[in-house]
Amino acid sequence: MNVNILYLYPDFMSLYGDNGNIRILERRLKDQGFDVEIIKRTITDDVISFDGMDFVYMGSGFESNRNLVAAHLANFKDGLVRAIDDGVPMLFTGNSYDILGDRIETADKTVIKGLGIFDFSFIEQIEKRYTGDVVLEDWENHELYVGFVNRAGVPHGKDGLAFEITKVIGNVPFEKDGVRKNNLLGISLIGPLLLKNPKIAESFVRIICGRKGAEYKEISYPNSEKSHDKTKKALLNAEV
Amino acid sequence: MKIRAFTAILVCKVIRGLAKLLGRGSSLPGKYALKICPDILSELKLPELSIAVTGSNGKTSTVEMIAHVLKSNGLKVAYNKEGSNQIEGVTTFLIGASTMGGKVKSDVVLLEADERYARRVFAYFHPKYFVINNLYRDQMTRNGHPEWIRTIIGHAVYDDMTLILNADDPLVASFGKDREGTVYFGADNLPSDTTVHEGIYNDGRYCPICKQPMEYEYYHYNHIGKFKCTSCGFERHDTDHTLTGIGESDGHASITIDGTYEIPVFFTGIYHCYNILAAFTAATVAGIAPEKAAESLGGYILKSGRISDFTLGKVEGRLLLSKHENSVSYDRSIDVVVKDKRKKSVMIIVDAISRKYYTSDSSWLWDINFEKLNDEGIDRIILAGQYCEDLAVRFDLAGVDSRKVQVFDTVQKAADYCRDNLDSFLYVITCFSDKEKILSIVTRRELA
Repeated sequence: MNVNILYLYPDFMSLYGDNGNIRILERRLKDQGFDVEIIKRTITDDVISFDGMDFVYMGSGFESNRNLVAAHLANFKDGLVRAIDDGVPMLFTGNSYDILGDRIETADKTVIKGLGIFDFSFIEQIEKRYTGDVVLEDWENHELYVGFVNRAGVPHGKDGLAFEITKVIGNVPFEKDGVRKNNLLGISLIGPLLLKNPKIAESFVRIICGRKGAEYKEISYPNSEKSHDKTKKALLNAEV
Repeated sequence: MKIRAFTAILVCKVIRGLAKLLGRGSSLPGKYALKICPDILSELKLPELSIAVTGSNGKTSTVEMIAHVLKSNGLKVAYNKEGSNQIEGVTTFLIGASTMGGKVKSDVVLLEADERYARRVFAYFHPKYFVINNLYRDQMTRNGHPEWIRTIIGHAVYDDMTLILNADDPLVASFGKDREGTVYFGADNLPSDTTVHEGIYNDGRYCPICKQPMEYEYYHYNHIGKFKCTSCGFERHDTDHTLTGIGESDGHASITIDGTYEIPVFFTGIYHCYNILAAFTAATVAGIAPEKAAESLGGYILKSGRISDFTLGKVEGRLLLSKHENSVSYDRSIDVVVKDKRKKSVMIIVDAISRKYYTSDSSWLWDINFEKLNDEGIDRIILAGQYCEDLAVRFDLAGVDSRKVQVFDTVQKAADYCRDNLDSFLYVITCFSDKEKILSIVTRRELA
């Protein structure tokens, strides 16, 4: 059975080893017995179609790139919204999830219009980066997620945000982060968060299996589990 | 001179003297001076000639080489040789080099400037020349990303400075756009160049100015090469000084600059060649005759510490020092391994990402082209250290045969395995922060 992964802007939003998420997911889907096709669409493409996609991903980029993506992706918003409503699993990492909100106020006070799928906004500055290791708690299931934040802005419109940041080592001046809608997850963590958060990887694979009518096979990924446990322990024990 | 400035200088010199006796760091005296007189740097009288160097990689080496050339040609040079490149360190070294009246007692001030802190230092004085060598993905847990660093360095660039830029790095070269008098250095088409981009990501894919796709005639490495924007016309600038050749014969290596000046070098790593070229360019712009600059650089043995040969039981090996959180430096080390046609094994150690801070962030491992190690000539791959699971997942997806891969959570266990099992040459790739963990176990043969 074939699974189609839509990899959005892989050469334009590709900052922090985000390609790892696609590769980890591909590996897990193959382990389930799927044939995986990765469809790449970028800023120079005239059409981005979400039809027939089983998973959608976008990673972090330069703020200037992300702003151009916000305008480009707006042309294909209807398809994206339909796919979200239809329950297509999606992952937006780092500052790529910013564009799903209402607006981004950049460091020079320019307002970038978001896709308006969520009611939040980001306010950015140029003087410093907001970087740090974080532990986030998922309000839905009380799972703890770990990873790294590296961005220019802070989110506002906290009511709709899905995770509470319970520990920060570094400079991440906000307490809530991330959005969920149906099977879409947007989160500030950068890089291959599916490595350090195997539960998130597993939940995506389960959803894809369910939507494909395939039975989910239990497979363990001990390196990923160990990395999660080790990181969580180190972060929870770290003195701030 | 203001009394505050005088006090700051006095306090700085006294604390510096005490700190030296105690063998302590070099930023503390400057920190106190800045507390007493926040604009102390603008009170100092600098010589007419001043050169600052910044970039992601090679700042210290480049500054050391420029200092060597200028000194060998009779100039008195003041520079931050402790590599303390933030404002406190710069203040310490400049006051250390000055009289009680604040006059810097040298012909030249040479400054290694941190990418993020140059703007704070240059708010008080402007170096005459500002060398920008390269901008890569480097230590992004602190540096955000290269475009942000470019913006931040931009806050340190003033109209009265002459920029000396790497023409082959589009992000660096973009500083020279519409700026007359800018000096460029770069490399000609070299035998080791590629026409297609190698690597996991391509930071030269889009124009830094208009964001449209760029095309490359050739890549020296990473995004360094001969580029041209397909839309706005931004392209590699002609160079004032050029690396025209890299040669190696009978174990003797040399590079050629401007087709004329042959400089013997210890190793021919391309980034090292760029550092030499940057130093050559800065020295000639500062008034040293090119043949004199070449002669001094040829006599200079860079104590890089980048390469250490060792034995581990019967196993012979070589440590290739790289930088964690810097995929470019890892990619260059991997190139060295792949180029070696012997049967060989590779140990990658990621145990402490930095000596200064803890981070769990191993995202940079996914920017490194480990796929190149998926090669018949590779015997075993040994992954070691606290981050061995992250490495294991990365290598699993690099397509490397899992039977070749061994994973150990400590360097000692990894070394024991190699001693007892290997019959191939062993390359070790790791960072300054982790090198002692292996060097304390092996027997070192020589230090380059």
